[in-house]
Amino acid sequence: MAKTDIGPPDYKTMLPPVISRNYGKWLYHEILKPGVLMHIAESGEALYTVRAGSPRLISTDHIREICDLAEKYCDGYLRFTSRHNIEFLLDDKNKVDPLIAELTSLNYPVGGTGHAISNIVHTQGWVHCHTPATDASGPVKALMDEIYDYFVTMKLPNHVRIALACCLNMCGAVHCSDIAILGIHRTVPKTDNTRVPNVCEIPSTVASCPTGAIRGDMKAKTVTVNDEKCMYCGNCYTVCPAMPIADPDNDGISIWVGGKVSNARSAPKFSKLAIPFLPNNPPRWPEVVEAVKNIIEVYASHARKHERVGEWIERVGWERFFTLTGIPFTDKHIDDYDMATETFRTSTQFKWG
Amino acid sequence: MPQIELAGKIYEVDEDGFLQELDKWNEEFAQAYAKTEDIEGPLTEEHWKIINYLRDYFKQFGIAPMVRKVCKDNGVDMKKLYELFPTGPAKGGCKLAGLSKPTGCV
Ligand code: SF4
Ligand code: SF4
Repeated sequence: MAKTDIGPPDYKTMLPPVISRNYGKWLYHEILKPGVLMHIAESGEALYTVRAGSPRLISTDHIREICDLAEKYCDGYLRFTSRHNIEFLLDDKNKVDPLIAELTSLNYPVGGTGHAISNIVHTQGWVHCHTPATDASGPVKALMDEIYDYFVTMKLPNHVRIALACCLNMCGAVHCSDIAILGIHRTVPKTDNTRVPNVCEIPSTVASCPTGAIRGDMKAKTVTVNDEKCMYCGNCYTVCPAMPIADPDNDGISIWVGGKVSNARSAPKFSKLAIPFLPNNPPRWPEVVEAVKNIIEVYASHARKHERVGEWIERVGWERFFTLTGIPFTDKHIDDYDMATETFRTSTQFKWG
Repeated sequence: MPQIELAGKIYEVDEDGFLQELDKWNEEFAQAYAKTEDIEGPLTEEHWKIINYLRDYFKQFGIAPMVRKVCKDNGVDMKKLYELFPTGPAKGGCKLAGLSKPTGCV
């Protein structure tokens, strides 16, 4: 039997020597230009990092190409960031520009640093998951194509984190990102009662529903859904394969704004609903791309320096956010779940739009 | 739907080999299936104790028991469960016991 429970390899065996030597002894860093960082250690040694975009879903051929580049410029060392960017780690400043030149010739975008829009954290979509309401790789590519300029420059008030999840399981970061793209359903699951008894645990299926819309009948070994109570979360399908919910005509995308995870200036925030529904329109998702671009542009022209999207909105007020972006405010925006009252306005303070 | 022949009988199974007509389960099914779940030789008394427990629990409550419950009620620990069912209590144990396939983010 193969050896088990050996854990991941020790990361210290894979550090570039300049990092090993100065581990825990860094003094300061600078962003030399978009995509290029310089860290200076107490010893005076410098580490240069060149950050390049990646589509996250990559072939082994592509990984080998990245390895070849690392071999040529960084003695074989590289890392991936928590937003799936590639970082080439160099100790020789003279190699930075030749590396960038070669990356550019191979169509790697160099950037994602500082007040930029870095990579989009995203999920499996139609490539691999069985519960998505939209695709991941497709919309991400369509959007990054249109906002490419924000990846390779640093001209926003602060960085804007964009994330995508293809269903409201929210694998990843949509609930805490400046702008979030989230796949949603709009139809009730279709229960196949002939399959339920063999492939589903009825009590688990009943318990999976956040609104209590599902009733179980242990004797008849079936479940019934109260359509009026269902808000199409799809959780019952995750638990019970005999309740498919995907619907090509009514599935689509919602857009959320104003989340953040850092504690800089303000506490971390959840993202909130901005646009309840946009259609799935593969392969380029033009409605989604346009909506996200609009939010970025309005934010870029109105926010103060260092203000994150959520901080800007909270300063000007949500009614101003909707007026400035031209996004219609609808009944769908009004929370009606457990803690809804906390989200209502209990004050006379508001602006006339 | 895929089918599998075990001890001379045909069963409807899904792509992971879970029984699709739960009422067709029988002891020969479990025994004949054991080797695909890395269990060598005949099922022991200890195996049957867990398999029967899983079946009784499913019959009574309509769900598979949580793994802590399996351990507590049978006086075994996780290590022992994995010794009995090398592919695990869910994939191995529930499959042989003819329970529905575990769902969720497995
Ligand atoms: S967000 Fe939903 S659909 Fe997308 S990978 Fe996660 S579970 Fe699957
Ligand atoms: S989709 Fe969600 S709300 Fe609707 S029945 Fe299923 S679990 Fe309940």
